[in-house]
Amino acid sequence: MPRVIFHKAGVAHEGEVAANSNLVVRAGIKHFPYPHLRYGCGMGKCAKCACRIVAGAEHLPEPNWKELKMLGDRIASGYRLMCQIWLSEDIELAQDDVAVVPA
Amino acid sequence: MAALMDHVEFRTALENAIKGKSANKAPFSMAWAAGKLSRKHLARWAENHYHYVGPFADYLAYVYARMPDRYTEAKDFLLSNMYEEEIGGDRHTDLLIRFAESCGTTAERVKDPDNMSPTTRGLQSWCYAVAMREDPIVAVAGLVVGLESQVPSIYRRQTPTLREKYGFTDEEVEFFDLHIVSDEIHGERGYQIVLEHANTVELQQRCLKICEIGAEMRLLYTTALYRDYVESELPFDQLQLAA
Repeated sequence: MPRVIFHKAGVAHEGEVAANSNLVVRAGIKHFPYPHLRYGCGMGKCAKCACRIVAGAEHLPEPNWKELKMLGDRIASGYRLMCQIWLSEDIELAQDDVAVVPA
Repeated sequence: MAALMDHVEFRTALENAIKGKSANKAPFSMAWAAGKLSRKHLARWAENHYHYVGPFADYLAYVYARMPDRYTEAKDFLLSNMYEEEIGGDRHTDLLIRFAESCGTTAERVKDPDNMSPTTRGLQSWCYAVAMREDPIVAVAGLVVGLESQVPSIYRRQTPTLREKYGFTDEEVEFFDLHIVSDEIHGERGYQIVLEHANTVELQQRCLKICEIGAEMRLLYTTALYRDYVESELPFDQLQLAA
């Protein structure tokens, strides 16, 4: 089971999720990382769920077309849209206090 | 004599009730996955699908209104599902229309109820009837668990095929992409409502039965799409060889 360390507002929240979990889906049904993970449309159109990957990025697939479109240059700084990612390995990530503005 | 199931047993029973009649096994779905449909067939699918999924927030609104006010979280989940279907991001039906247009039909044709088959009209009517008449927990089991929760597994199979075998662009198939995320949330919310509130043997059994019926209705709808629009060009024996 992937272990998730989620940083928000200076606090680290830790939890385990089932393999192939999507953190936005989990937040949508009020499971960890609810209520800490901010998200919006759940369809890669608002970038509210954007997080910076601190560790474990090497296990993630390449950014898809929605992430490239919404995040632009922030991809190079490690940002990803969590609504577009299903986790199979441990990950550490951080969400800014202010939502990312779409590219 | 049935006994009251705990949440784990009941969830497994619900999943099994749906699995037996999965629309993945319908000939239209098999032809879709095998890359054997034409854009004309997919246009007819979109013209029908619009009238089944288009009113989904309407169906849920009837259930929401009849859900007891003490079930606050269940009501909030339904409201979230309605919001996300319609105005949380792009309206889901607008994305369906974009796909339909890329298949060669028009928004006007998609929205015109005269272009849906009698079977699609039957499925839409069944959804309204369940939403208006069933116990609200049973209605959630039928509409959200029995129907909506099937969508991610169907589209997970179909979306790569649309790109790789049919040559659609990412933007053209966005309708299918979004459902992999949002319907997963919606389906899970449905499970939570049903697991929490179907707390008698009778309610659990009614939920299981309506899941079976819902899955049968979707299978009926999908099978009719094949018979109405595809079978004359792609007979079932040829489809079985291709699948």
